Amino acid sequence: MIRLRDVSWHHGTLPHEGQATLRNISLAIPQGGFRWLLGPSGAGKSTLLRLLHMEALPRSGDMEILGTEIGSRSKRSTLARLRQRIGMIHQDFRLMPTLSVADNIALPLRLQKRMEGEIAQEVDALLDWLGLVERKKARPVELSGGEQQRTAIARAVIMRPSLLLADEPTNALEDSQAARVIGMLRELSDLGTTVIVATHNDTLVQRFPAPALQLRQGRLFSDE
Amino acid sequence: MNKHKRVRDGLALSRALPDRSLLTMVAAMSLLIALTFTAAVGAQSLSERWARGAANLITVQVPDPDKAPVTDNHTTGGSRVEAVLGTLKTAPDIVQLHRLNEQELDALLKPWLGNTGTAALPLPAVIEVDLTAGGVLSDDLVSTLTTIAPGTLIEKNDDWRSQLHTVARSLLFCAGLAIALVGTIGAAVIGMATRLGLGSRRESVTILHELGASDGYVARRFASRVAVLSFLGGLAGTLVSLPPIAILSHLMAPFSGAVSSTTQNGENWFPILKDSLLAFWHGAAPQSLLIGLGCIPFVVTLIGWVTAQVIVRVWLRRLP
Ligand SMILES: Nc1ncnc2c1ncn2[C@@H]1O[C@H](COP(=O)(O)OP(=O)(O)OP(=O)(O)O)[C@@H](O)[C@H]1O
Ligand SMILES: [Mg+2]
Repeated sequence: MIRLRDVSWHHGTLPHEGQATLRNISLAIPQGGFRWLLGPSGAGKSTLLRLLHMEALPRSGDMEILGTEIGSRSKRSTLARLRQRIGMIHQDFRLMPTLSVADNIALPLRLQKRMEGEIAQEVDALLDWLGLVERKKARPVELSGGEQQRTAIARAVIMRPSLLLADEPTNALEDSQAARVIGMLRELSDLGTTVIVATHNDTLVQRFPAPALQLRQGRLFSDE
Repeated sequence: MNKHKRVRDGLALSRALPDRSLLTMVAAMSLLIALTFTAAVGAQSLSERWARGAANLITVQVPDPDKAPVTDNHTTGGSRVEAVLGTLKTAPDIVQLHRLNEQELDALLKPWLGNTGTAALPLPAVIEVDLTAGGVLSDDLVSTLTTIAPGTLIEKNDDWRSQLHTVARSLLFCAGLAIALVGTIGAAVIGMATRLGLGSRRESVTILHELGASDGYVARRFASRVAVLSFLGGLAGTLVSLPPIAILSHLMAPFSGAVSSTTQNGENWFPILKDSLLAFWHGAAPQSLLIGLGCIPFVVTLIGWVTAQVIVRVWLRRLP
């Protein structure tokens, strides 16, 4: 369960000219729900996803992630353990520059100290599914945008997260590939993962109908 | 390359930290600590050695011991030293009287005069007077003694004992202070190196944090690497300190009472170094010194580990 009540957030220490990046956001998404996150550029989509990923904490209001109340007084170890259950596909991918594609994808499982044999199996399956088998030894700098994006997708889903946050996860992919990826995210949500996908791609939204969260200038307009 | 493959969390710390400079700095600090510590132990054992004995030991020096005593009534015969001994025997509070024989005098003077032999010098007789605890030689007695044997010196060990203790204690205090200071500077250097490593891995650390790595995990990764480097540096520094320390303790052996082969005061250093290291190896040095030196690499490792842990954990606080 994801629940926000009256959450506001702004960059820096004070809101500039009274302009908060996110203003009085309230939302509730049941476990296993799928939501589009829509809105024009600069509306605050990435900021909201970063907040849900606890890369920043709400300046005001209440936030509950996967059943845990989050605030400035939350224990750091609690936040770390929660993050292990959240898959995040960043708009800028945020791959580990020193690691190969395969090692990047394996990283969440390595941090959870899974067996190497098990890790290799999962990684190979995802490499295959995302068409990255030939690039598995390459470093992120040697990859095309689409390859980096697919690596980021694989890393986000490999540990079967309880919450998946995807920030324009298909903008570097071909249409057919994009559709496959969104299809997989829908399947994940059917299996119980809460999925939130920020996108500009109207064709995809129409092809995969689902409730949408509409952001405009930091305010949320839900069309549920 | 292979090394960072082993962990494969992308931190690649073998290339993130300024390995060589950190190692060198820690080695230099350890060398300083080892030398300071040795000086402290040396001062301590010297003061102990020199001040050893019962709490109430008095030395009486009788010059011209073989001359006839100066007395009012000429009834007492014999020499001055016998007269002094006779008078002391009648005094209260005395547990034991002992006149040092030639060998004992020799042993006492050897550190100062070497093996040249003391026979040629006009030496006073030295009598050790062991008093009961709290006992004193009365002023009357002292004046009697100086009358019988003019020039008799009565040396209360207590006086210079306490002075020696004060000196030794201040030396120890200074050494402790110096070691603490060097340790603090060492921690600061290690802290800066860790900070540098964090800076160069800022992106990777942030990504790991976002993937749910705990503060403990990241801190442990840095601290283990820093601890290994600190240990190697500490070991190197301590090893480098051994030859000079061995020579020092060898040269000091006659003063501090350890048995040692006699060193010729020649100009050739190599045999001295060899002798010293051999003697050191065979346990000529005080045990506390050896234990202390052995601890240095581990203490330095601990300092490195704790410093890195603190620096990394504080740095991570900027990420929620
Ligand atoms: N580091 C920053 N400091 C100050 N303002 C920022 C910072 N990052 C983003 N902003 C502002 O916050 C607002 C929301 O940005 P955000 O990245 O969330 O938008 P977005 O909806 O994801 O846009 P896009 O569709 O282009 O990715 C924007 O007005 C942006 O200018
Ligand atoms: Mg964005």
